[in-house]
This record gives sequence, C-alpha cells and structure tokens, in this order.
Amino acid sequence: MQPPDTESRRRRLHRASPRLKLLVTLLFIIPTALLPRHPDLLYLIPAGILILVWPFTRMPLSHALRRLWVVEVFILGIALLALVSPEAVPIFFATLFKSNLCVFAMLLLTWTTPFQDILQELRRWRFPSVMLTTLALMYRYLPVLREESRRMSRARASRTFRRRRLAAWQDLSLIIGQLFVRSADRAERIYLAMCARGWK
Amino acid sequence: MHLPDGFLDAKTALLSSGVAAAGVTVALRQVRASLEPRQMPMLGLGAAFVFVAQMLNFPIAGGTSGHLLGGVLAAILLGPGAAVLVMTCVLIVQCLMFADGGLVSLGANVFNMGVVNVCGGYFVFKLARTFIRMEHHRAAVFAAAFAGWFGMVLAAAVCAGELALSQTVPWAYAFPAMVNTHMLIGIGEGLATGLILLAVLRARPELVVNSLQSGRALRGRDVLYGVLLCLGLALFVAPFTCSWPDGLESIGQRLGLPAKTVVAPLSGYRFPFLESAAGTTAVAGAIGTVVAFIAAYILARAVVPVLGTSKKDATSRH
Amino acid sequence: MSTAVEVRQLSYRYPQNGRLALDELSFSVAEDECIGVLGPNGAGKSTLLLHLNGLLPEHAPAAPNLWIAGEPILSRNLDLIRQRVGLLFQDPDDQLISATVFEDVAFGPRQLGVEGAILKSLVAHCLAQVGLSGFEERQPHRLSHGEKRRVCLAGVLACKPSVLVLDEPTSDLDPRGRREFKALLQSLPGAKIIATHDLELVVDLCSRVLVLDDGKLVAEGPTVKLLSNEPLMLAHGLEKPHSLLHRHPHGPIAGEPENGGTDI
Repeated sequence: MQPPDTESRRRRLHRASPRLKLLVTLLFIIPTALLPRHPDLLYLIPAGILILVWPFTRMPLSHALRRLWVVEVFILGIALLALVSPEAVPIFFATLFKSNLCVFAMLLLTWTTPFQDILQELRRWRFPSVMLTTLALMYRYLPVLREESRRMSRARASRTFRRRRLAAWQDLSLIIGQLFVRSADRAERIYLAMCARGWK
Repeated sequence: MHLPDGFLDAKTALLSSGVAAAGVTVALRQVRASLEPRQMPMLGLGAAFVFVAQMLNFPIAGGTSGHLLGGVLAAILLGPGAAVLVMTCVLIVQCLMFADGGLVSLGANVFNMGVVNVCGGYFVFKLARTFIRMEHHRAAVFAAAFAGWFGMVLAAAVCAGELALSQTVPWAYAFPAMVNTHMLIGIGEGLATGLILLAVLRARPELVVNSLQSGRALRGRDVLYGVLLCLGLALFVAPFTCSWPDGLESIGQRLGLPAKTVVAPLSGYRFPFLESAAGTTAVAGAIGTVVAFIAAYILARAVVPVLGTSKKDATSRH
Repeated sequence: MSTAVEVRQLSYRYPQNGRLALDELSFSVAEDECIGVLGPNGAGKSTLLLHLNGLLPEHAPAAPNLWIAGEPILSRNLDLIRQRVGLLFQDPDDQLISATVFEDVAFGPRQLGVEGAILKSLVAHCLAQVGLSGFEERQPHRLSHGEKRRVCLAGVLACKPSVLVLDEPTSDLDPRGRREFKALLQSLPGAKIIATHDLELVVDLCSRVLVLDDGKLVAEGPTVKLLSNEPLMLAHGLEKPHSLLHRHPHGPIAGEPENGGTDI
C-alpha cells in the first residue's frame, strides 16, 4: 500500500500545512530520541501523543507493522550491543522503545505528507537548488527505473533454468550496469527535451 | 548501516550533522564548478539509479539476501562530488518518504554512507589504480572491488565511533561488532561493485566519469575530501583507539560470551600482546584488508579477460 | 504561401565516430503543410529533427543551413527558434520531467516569463486542446502511455510554436490511442513535420513525403504517388501501405472511398 499522493487530500491531517507537520515531527523526535537512557515514566508522554494522533492520520496498522519490521532489524541489531552495560536489560528495552516511537512518528509524517510537499517546504527553506533538482528528478524517475529493472529481471528470469548463486550475481550486475547505461542515455535525452522548451 | 533514531546523543548527532553538512557543501561547490549543464539531469537519474539498485536482492546463503549500498560505485561512475550529493539525496528520500533511517540521525547516516563511504572508497580506488600494474579494465575492476569493501569497513568504523561517543555502546564492543560484520558484508559490496563496473565498462566505457586511463595522482580538490575524512576519523574513531590498553581487559572478559556471537571467526584468535577485543579486531582488520586486497586481485583476473580477447566477446550495441 | 521551414544542404557528422549522419539535405515546408519523413532505422530522421530546433549541431555553424519562417538558425537566436519550433520526443518519459501535469505543461511558458493567472489559463487551454481537461494535478507515472504523449504535446503547444516537429508520435499507442492522436494532430494548425514508421498515418495526414536513407534525401514528392511506388519503398526499407494496395497513384479507383478505406 502506498501512502497517498497529491490526489487524495480528503483527510484533514493530509491537508494540513507540510511545514507544520515537518516541524511538529521534528519537535517530537528530537526530545524523544534524546530522552534519558533509563526507562522512565517520561516515555509514556511521546507514546501517548502518538496514540492520540494516529487515528487522525488513518494510517493502517498493516502498513505501520510492515515498515516497522524492516527497521526492526537495525534497531535490534544495535540495541543488542547495548546489552553489555551493567544495567543492560532495562536500557535495551528503553532504547528499543524510544527508537520505535521515533520510527512511528516518521511513518505518520510520511503517510500524511506527500514527498512533493516536503520538497516544496525544503525549497522554502532555501535548500540548495542542485539538491532540490536532484530530489525532484529522482522522485519523478524512481518508478520509471524500477519498472525498467523489473522488466530486465523478468526477461532474464525467463531464460534462467538453473538457479546458481554466482550466476545470479553476474546477472544482477549486468542488469544494474545496463540500468546505469540506460539512465545515462535517458539523462541525455531529458537534457535535450528541457533545452527544446527553453531551459538554460 | 542506517542508524535509526534513539541511538545517538545530542552532541554526537550535532557533530555528525555538522561534518555531514560540511561534506555536502564541499561536494556542492565542486559540482557547481565542474559539472556542465548537460550533466545535471544525471544527478537526479543517478540518485534514482542508486535507489533502485539498492532494492535488488543479491542472494547470499540459505534464503538470506544482501543489498548494494552503492556509494563507491557512484563515486567511480559519477565522480566523488556528484556521488556525495547522490547518496545524500538517496538517504533523504529514504528517510522522508519511507521512514528508513532516523531524522535526527540523518546527519550521521549522511556522513557515514554519503561522505566516509564515498570519499574513503574513492580515495582507495584511486590509490589502488595508481599503484597496481594491470591491464586497463582489470585494474579498474580490482580497484573497484577492493575500494567497495574498504569503504564499507571504514563507514562501519565511524558508525561504531558515533555509537561509542553517544555512550550507547562501549567502543570495545561497538568496534569489533560493526567492523567485523561489515568486513563480511563488505565482501558482497566489493564483489558487486567490481562486477557492475565491469558491466558498464564493457557496454559503454565512455560513460564512466572517473578517468581510468591515467592512474593519475589525486587532484587538489580531492584532498579536501580527504581532510573531511580525517576529521571524521579524528572525531569518531581516534579518541577510542588511543585508550585500548586502559582497563578494557575486564570488560573484554565480561564481554567474552556475548562478543563471540557477533564477532567474526578471525577475531576469535587471541594474540598474546593484545588482550582487548578491540585490539584483536584491529589486527584482524589489517589481515582482512590484505585478504580483501588479494581477493579483489584474483577476482579481477578471473572475471576480466585480457583486452585482446575482450574485444571479440564484447557485446555489440543495439 | 510563405515558407515555414527551409533546409539547404544540411550535413552533419556524429562527433563520436565521424560518420556522416546527414548528407547535403535540402527541402522546404510551406506554412500549414504537413510532411512526413520516412526511412529505415538509422537513416537520420531523429538527427534531422534535432536540427530543426537548434539542438544540433552542438556548436552552431558560422553559415546557417536552416531557416524557420525566414529566420536563420544561429547561436544568437536559439531561444527564438526553440519557441517557434515545438519538438515532441519519441519517449514521453524523456519529456515529462515534472512532478505534476500542470508543472510540466507550465515548464515552457515559465521560461518565457508567463506566470500567475495567465499561466493557469494557458495550461488549462492547452490541456483542453489535447483532450485532458482537469488533469492538472495528476502525476506522470500514473498516466497511460497515450495520456503521457498528450501531456507532452500540451507542453509543446503551450509555447505557441508555429512549426510542430514530431518524432514517432504514434509508436507504442494502442489503436484507439492512435486514432485519437491522429484526430488531434489533424485539428492543429500550422506546419507539421512527422518522422514516423506509421505509413497509414502519413497517408492520412501528410500531403508530401521525404524519404531518407543513410543520411541522404533519396525521394521527395506527393504522399500517395511516392508511397505507391513499391520498388522505391522496398529499396529503402519501407513498403507500400495497405490502404494504397488497391489504389491508383493518381487518384482513387472509381467506387473506392477517398481515404482508401481507413477510418476517421
């Protein structure tokens, strides 16, 4: 399931100012991430805030769980290292909890704020123009390149009769290499198309 | 290596964000000065390319799969400045669109994967190219494979430093854990980087920005990246490396059991003169570097035919 | 009728390998005329099209070979030429670079200084012209191939060109998309130059045809006459279109409809 884009602005929070949402998220995450290492009743405050806000965003639990699962690997991996300190176990859980709260807050942000709006906000904050152009073009061509890589993978798979790991690495490398070549060619054509409409 | 929020303390987050911002500024300046308008769309497409490449599954063992990071690959294909910007944009999109990687730790992630990985790998790539006498494409693949591995390990070391500085994980534990795991993961990264570069060289060698013909010495502006790299190492790695001998043996013994579960086999060796786990890792790291170097060399020889035969089997375009 | 496009002895060599891509091409296109450019792959059709709005050669020559409405294409007036000549690229994904349809159609006029309410109404007008009213907020990657093509055309029309140059406009379109696009092209005024493999499109839209092969202009003349010349067509990697198979080159056979049986 994809987060909504500019086309689906029915929900209230989705229509709220992106600047507000970004700032609120930042103001939430910074103190939460920097909460004291030891578990504390303080932890309940950010948790409570998230639980209160969540229904308004209409973010489905399945989406949240799926994304949290991906990040959990990193969180657990590093949190396990924290087990070395004397008060290991409570700190482990505290770090786990804090981290997941922050991820959840980011999920709420990304669910309610289309990336284009975030880009607009960054533009207002005088983000460097080279980066803004790069981000915009990247956002535009991600699906195009993803589809190209899928097509190449499928074409390759339809002629793969014996699955061998090393061969898979070679095939993948060929596909990625080819993807780069095609991207470079496309970038050249994009440049021409932009010039054709007066870009300097 | 994407650090989520909650593992770095305020000072580390600020410090790493600061160096990250410095690195990105240097890259911006270089790109603005040297990139022609014709090459501008390639930044955006390059970023999309890296993002999509990171999504592909490289099979490892028994159902697990690994993913390319692509920082060193980007540096070789697009140049270091462009690669820094490209990786930064990839990380920004991953954070702000997919909630992968924390917002507060975005600075640290950008520094580790966007500056250290890219610049460190690029440096090593150029050095390796300068000092190794090998046929053209072979040298490139060898250097790319080794640089891919090295960049990964370097970034892991700095990441460990950041965790230690935040006092989330003690250095004596963070360093071996991060570096050892990434010495293994780095093998995949190096292998993939080398193979992908080979694929591009065979198809369209003129697309590779990095001047492969001359194993020329590093240029002036490349030094600036080196400075930033050293700064990062000085901030996040050096403070800990100096304190190895002090009182880590007791911690080392307490770590004995859990340490072995995450530490690679090589570090299991106890050298009589280096008691601490961190010290052992450093030696293992040195050995690992030599092994990776040799492995990359063998890879290049095996995978890249000599120029004469490669012309015959080169695929024709269209 | 004045000349919309004039080409005199245009030659071009590829910078990578020095191969001659265009060899002393000369032709002209009148105002409101629609001509087709045919030829096998690699004949130089796309290269020619890129010359028509100054994108090639990379460095403008000292003496001009191309004139648009009497204005020579030189390095100093490239901006003017690019506004006068609207170029539609073969792959709409190369042209549709912005995040929304509105932003993309507005791209050209913005370069020309159009802003605000005027810009909004211009974009709306152009989208209506291509049959995509209300598509302003749509995202490019959610559009069908035909819709993307039409957005690109709207973006080109927004610059108010006097000459339209189209590179394979009906490739990859399904039959309905192709019919709709053809009807759209028929409704647009001004000179049109269409490079295509779609021979039936050429029969329906173009009064004159140029045949390119290996960079040379090997034939030029009225559409039906030239396309009925089967030996000529086959010699240059083409063929006689089906709609002309039973048609006399100098006019319809008694009892056959004017268009040779093709639908609207």
